[in-house]
Amino acid sequence: MAQCVQSVQELIQDSFVPKVAVLCSEDAQKITRKNNLNFSELLRPFCRLTSEGHMRDSNNQVQVVKNLRISVNNVVTRPSVPTSGVHSPAQRRLLSEVVSASQPAEGGVANVITAGDYDLNISDRSVKASVPWYSDWRDTLTELSTSKHYTATTPWFEAYRESFLQSMPASDHEFLNHYLACLLVVSSSEAVPVEQFLKLSQEQHMIQHNGEYTNPKWFIPNTLKYYVLLHDMSQGDEQRADSVYEDMKQRYGSQGCYLLKINSRTAAAGTDEQIPDPWSQYLNKSSLQNGVSVNSLDNTHPLQLETAIDMPGSLDCLRAVATETKTTTVYTGVAAGTSHGACLTLNDHNRLRLFIQEFTFRGLLPHIEKNIRQLNDQLVSRKGLSRSLFSVTKKLFGGGKVPEKSIAELKNTSGLLYHPEAPELQIRKMADLCFLVQHYELAYSCYHTAKKDFLSDQAMLYAAGALEMAAVSAFLQGGAQRPYPAHYMDTAIQTYRDVCKNKVLAERCALFSAEVLKSQAKYSDAATLLIKMTSEDSDLCSALLLEQAAHCFINMRNPMVRKFAFHMILAGHRFSKAGQKRHALRCYCQAMQVYKGKGWSLAEDHINFTIGRQSFTLRQPENAVLAFRHILTNDSQQTATQQGAFLREYLYVYRVALPQLPLPCINSSATRVYFGHERRLAEGEKQAATHVSLDQEFDQDLAAVWQDLEEQVVAAANRGVVPSTFYPTQCCLNSQTDNLHFPLAVVEEPIIVEVAFRNPLKVPLVLSDLSLLWKFTLKDFSRPQPQDVMVGDAVTITNEKEAIAPRKHGIITTEVIPEFFMSPEETRVARLKLLPRQTGQLTILGLVYNLASTPSTGDSTINSNSFSQNQGPSVRGRQDLEIQGPRLNQTKEEKTSVSHGPDRRLDPTITPPMPLLEVFFLQFPTALLCGEIRKAYVEFCNVSHVPLCGLRVASTHPDFFTFGSSSLATPLTPLSPTSFENCSAYKTLATPPGATPGSVTAVTLVSAADFGSGGGGVFGTGGKRVAEIPLGEGTLTPGESTQLPLWLRGPDQEGVHEINFLFYYEGAEKGGKIRWGDHRVLRHTVFICASRSLSVRATACRSNTLPEEEGRNGSMLVFVDVENINTSEAGVREFHIAQVSSSSKQWRLHKCINPAENKDCKLTTRERGKLCFRATRSTSKSLEKYTFADLSLGNEQIISSTTPCADFFFRRCQSSESWRPLIAVETQGRHSRSQGAGPGGGAEDITGVVRKCNEVDLDIIVLWKAFVVEDNKQVILEGQLHVALQTIGKEACSLRQKEEAQEMVLLKFKPELPPPMTRPSMEQLSHLIKTNLHYPESYSHSFVQKSLCMIPVILTLSNCSLAQVDAIIDLRHKTTSPESLEVHGSFTWLGKTQYKLQLRAQEVMRLPLRAGFLHAGVYNLGTPRVFAKLADQGAMCETSQQTATPALIIINST
Amino acid sequence: MLTRLKTQVPLFSMNSYTKLGEKLKLSGLSLASTHSHVIRLGRHNSKMAVCIAVIAKENYPLFIRSVPVQNELKFHYTVHTSLDVVEEKISAVGKAMADQRELYLGLLYPTEDYKVYGYVTNSKVKFVIVVDSSNTSLRDNEIRSMFRKLHNSFTDVMCNPFYNPGDTIQSKAFDSIVSAMMVQAS
Repeated sequence: MAQCVQSVQELIQDSFVPKVAVLCSEDAQKITRKNNLNFSELLRPFCRLTSEGHMRDSNNQVQVVKNLRISVNNVVTRPSVPTSGVHSPAQRRLLSEVVSASQPAEGGVANVITAGDYDLNISDRSVKASVPWYSDWRDTLTELSTSKHYTATTPWFEAYRESFLQSMPASDHEFLNHYLACLLVVSSSEAVPVEQFLKLSQEQHMIQHNGEYTNPKWFIPNTLKYYVLLHDMSQGDEQRADSVYEDMKQRYGSQGCYLLKINSRTAAAGTDEQIPDPWSQYLNKSSLQNGVSVNSLDNTHPLQLETAIDMPGSLDCLRAVATETKTTTVYTGVAAGTSHGACLTLNDHNRLRLFIQEFTFRGLLPHIEKNIRQLNDQLVSRKGLSRSLFSVTKKLFGGGKVPEKSIAELKNTSGLLYHPEAPELQIRKMADLCFLVQHYELAYSCYHTAKKDFLSDQAMLYAAGALEMAAVSAFLQGGAQRPYPAHYMDTAIQTYRDVCKNKVLAERCALFSAEVLKSQAKYSDAATLLIKMTSEDSDLCSALLLEQAAHCFINMRNPMVRKFAFHMILAGHRFSKAGQKRHALRCYCQAMQVYKGKGWSLAEDHINFTIGRQSFTLRQPENAVLAFRHILTNDSQQTATQQGAFLREYLYVYRVALPQLPLPCINSSATRVYFGHERRLAEGEKQAATHVSLDQEFDQDLAAVWQDLEEQVVAAANRGVVPSTFYPTQCCLNSQTDNLHFPLAVVEEPIIVEVAFRNPLKVPLVLSDLSLLWKFTLKDFSRPQPQDVMVGDAVTITNEKEAIAPRKHGIITTEVIPEFFMSPEETRVARLKLLPRQTGQLTILGLVYNLASTPSTGDSTINSNSFSQNQGPSVRGRQDLEIQGPRLNQTKEEKTSVSHGPDRRLDPTITPPMPLLEVFFLQFPTALLCGEIRKAYVEFCNVSHVPLCGLRVASTHPDFFTFGSSSLATPLTPLSPTSFENCSAYKTLATPPGATPGSVTAVTLVSAADFGSGGGGVFGTGGKRVAEIPLGEGTLTPGESTQLPLWLRGPDQEGVHEINFLFYYEGAEKGGKIRWGDHRVLRHTVFICASRSLSVRATACRSNTLPEEEGRNGSMLVFVDVENINTSEAGVREFHIAQVSSSSKQWRLHKCINPAENKDCKLTTRERGKLCFRATRSTSKSLEKYTFADLSLGNEQIISSTTPCADFFFRRCQSSESWRPLIAVETQGRHSRSQGAGPGGGAEDITGVVRKCNEVDLDIIVLWKAFVVEDNKQVILEGQLHVALQTIGKEACSLRQKEEAQEMVLLKFKPELPPPMTRPSMEQLSHLIKTNLHYPESYSHSFVQKSLCMIPVILTLSNCSLAQVDAIIDLRHKTTSPESLEVHGSFTWLGKTQYKLQLRAQEVMRLPLRAGFLHAGVYNLGTPRVFAKLADQGAMCETSQQTATPALIIINST
Repeated sequence: MLTRLKTQVPLFSMNSYTKLGEKLKLSGLSLASTHSHVIRLGRHNSKMAVCIAVIAKENYPLFIRSVPVQNELKFHYTVHTSLDVVEEKISAVGKAMADQRELYLGLLYPTEDYKVYGYVTNSKVKFVIVVDSSNTSLRDNEIRSMFRKLHNSFTDVMCNPFYNPGDTIQSKAFDSIVSAMMVQAS
């Protein structure tokens, strides 16, 4: 705020003070020179009077003169500057120096002011410093506007104003600057001092009246001469001086002379005494001012402050002083080394003060008083006015004629000059005298009269002067006597400027006017006035005035912040034009506060740009950079050319060592870190494991799948337990992964950091020599070895130094990207590699690169080959990578506050060497038919320097592949004679030539454990998906690679299958102290497209043949329904069913009932075939072993019990167990119970028992061959399909449709009740007992001989269950309808018609029956009904058993 | 950037003689081009602004359009500075009267080259129209109707359910309404 240290009253008062000239003799000058001062300078600090003076006015009334100051100056008689209306260049330079010397104190306390919705830090600390009662903005405002004591906040403006007022040349139209008195100074050491006085007196007279010199202007013809005898205490004879003084007193009267004794301190004695140096602040200023006569107006002399009258509180004073001295320190710097007043003691100071007081009160004031009287008398007599001036003025006012009108009419008046002694000027002279002695009332009336006179004479310059002073004196009168005539001022300014063309006077007038207006809180008027005063002529002046205007805007009752800002910008602009860079910068900075972040981006950019430039020229690169950063990082609305210019400027400015660069923007959370080598995807025919790469997108679900797999494989490797330290391996870290732990990187394996850059500009950017910045702490994780000196003490190494000039580093090799080009507004990622060479803790700090802009020619085709250094400025700088962790949201505190967890993505721990596996696949298909078997090879390669072992694989589809069984020898498939050009995956044997197809069954007994994919993991809890890979010796030595066959089987479901493999391996030296040493993993994902092949359905039926025929164990009919559902594939010609095999623990296929005529069973598209087999119970007693029975339908037999076939069979079992667990459990349960023979109660028993009767548990394997035309070549594909028969009578299918149905289960909100499993269904119970009738097929009987034919029939009852069963046989005909009775009625069972029997487990009982026939005919004997129930279930009803098939008997009559 | 501002500074210079001379020179030079303007003026009913701005309640710009484009920064400054006067005018009306207050604020302040008019909706969204001082054909009533039209169009923008209040206005309809009111850059 443009508040001043002085009040306005003080300011004006001090601007116009009585001036006193000094004429000094040579000797006297010598005396003062001892103090490095001349006489006027010597007096200067003491020129303010501390006591009140009194004088009488023309009416003999006493006037009090308070706080008067006089100005003492040497007489300078050089030719005067012509009083033109403008400043001379020298003056301009002086003013400019003054302004630039006065700067705001740097590093001031920030002072935030809230105005509306703006927080402004308007003027550093000076408001606060000078206004201790500062509490808030409004208070400040009101206090400032009401307080009489104003505070300074724009010291440069005040300095300017002060210098400006002092450099005012004395002009003819006013007398305020004219000398009133002259001090004649003569040394007491002079031989005859009186003569000297005479000489000086004559000299003065000559100067004044000779007419040679125009410059020192004198107020009154008979100037007051005051004779001063200067006595040097250290040299002269004091008594002589006294006597000379007595002599002088005689001559000039005691009021006209003075004896001044100084220099009472000897130079030697002086050092110990600390004397304040009141001169410094005055003199350096004046030395700056280059001899222009100077009136120091400053009232803030420290020694006088305490007596200053208007000071409201001492605290204020002290602070004001502090502020003042701060600004003056600038000056002391200029003239350092010279000290003033070295020969003066404090006593001398007092003498000097006393001298001034004496001179003023005894000499000057009486002189003025006398002159006023004289002038008054003159005026009264000349004008013939008898009344007092007061009444004159009253009359004039009463006349009420407004003079302003006439001014406008006047045209050429500036030229008019009065003679200095002209009567019109006498009244002005008197007014000026009154004004100088603070008699404002009289002064006003005189000015007013003078104004009228001048106006009537059309002397416009004089009139304007009078108007100005009238207004000022009216203001200074204070009180309510007279309202301040603002329009006087306006008229005066206008006249000065427009009519007289005197800019300087106009400016002076405007400065006063603005101050007065401000003191009356008319800020708006003040601002308008100030803005009006700006002109093209003087940039400095305009800038200062605009700044003051801006301050006015903010001081208004409703602060106009935006106007403030705008005018600050204008001021800043003018300052910069005037070469005041610091002020310009300050203005822009202050304006910036208003524009910042308010959406006015165009203006904001402009300001920032200017700030940047100015800061740069002022050698404040940090600020410049900050400002430019702001333009560049913001979402700029500028045009491309503008942005290009900004960027170039920025790069030009940017010369700091490794600075933080703003461009391009880095999306730090999108940073990804990858550990390990980049993968070669293919190498010749080999196809490498996909593993993880930076090119893949992160998928949360997939990550969960991998983690699950890893957990399983780790559990399998650790005997079924997942270790507590287990932590899933993450090779690629991004924002979604769990980054809480320090990631692990292996020594000698690269770390790749992907950084996402965004170019926000519309101009292209070129980054070159892009590399990572890191910090590394060496640590040795292995056993401390003696030669490792660095162990223990953490030595942190960083490459920040090297980053300036990139070179190879011994610890970590940092890859450098030579050039990285970014097109406008592009988002691009850069991948930067580090290769750690030692173990330890690494921290990636950021990036370092050269930033350059491309030439603005718009040639965006610049790429690496056209890269050259001379394409514009480039800057080497850095950008830090700081990744904020995820927001914590677990506990309540975390939810309520915003806190973020750590993110350790960029802090990898470098571990000792670990094995590294590479896996390649050979002949790996991409498309398979469902169930197709294909052989591929897989190569494992240890590329590290450490042996590798414990290789395992886990997969989401364990039934998809097999490595073969470990126990059996797995040689390559022997070439059988019949095999086609592609060798079969199966192990085959040629069928014996004589044998009929489908009849020979080879039976093999196989233990499941042989194919259990090895190890205890197979039937372990989590290990189902984990397979151990049969390596030769179990380890892979460094560099070794091994190839293994791999059989694949197309998935049963058609479609595209994503199959994930997770290879697990560990170092050979396991169990180190290090937690991470356990394992590593390698991922592989394949996509297999499965297309439909065959659909196999199978049903089992209980055969009705007699037990004798089928042997002890019973037999079954198995119907296999095969359909070619391969529709779309044009390539597949036909399918041949090559073989059907069975695998079961209890059953085996016995023979094919309907072997096809031709050898193979062929099926072309959409064809369907049915095969019928007889199955018998296998003879094997080993419950855990599976019986494989092969029924070859072709000319070669595939040994299904060997590797690929049986493997897949067992793998299928493993996976299918998940959907039939109940059976397995119950099978177990049944065994235990039957062995214990304990007829336990409970419904579950019954269920089990009952189901047992129907259970089959037979797996059919259909082996097929498909003839496929591929590239005009016939290819034979092989495959196998599995069908699991479980229940008699129930159809089973090779495709599992149930699962799909399962997926569609509706979401239920009520817990479902467990299904009541207590009661086996009727249908199940009806299979307890199998019945057979044994009878002759036809029977001849002579009914003529014997009317009744009796035929014995044997009913065989076989108990299918393993429990005791009660059976009731009812032979009575159950007549359903009378007709049927009539048709079949003529046969009856004879004898006992109802039996109750008990059958033990699996007992077969024969019941002889007799049937009686009365006629010949065909009869159905299958009428006996059998009811059965389990023996121990008393409460149960007997259930009707399945009726036997119709048993027809033909009775012939002979 | 600096040269742009240079043109702005003499706004406040009171050296009216040279100013007048400049103006005369300028008008003389552009005499030929104004000819074609006359025809266009007639067609557009001489409703022509050089800058139209919509400013949010929180005093950030929602929309600023000005011709000629190269002086955009100057208009931004002018519009921004005028907000002080708008606020002054709003606060001048008493709280109780605020509801019945007229939306049109009239001339905010004249600069040497331009006149700035203001309008405040009830939701304290400000419209500012800057017209050339030399365009004497524009009277208060016409300015008023321009504002009304602008307000209607703005209301349409606000009614758009896809418009997020507080975002910069990108409506094509609004844009065309505004450009219809602007002096065509020649």
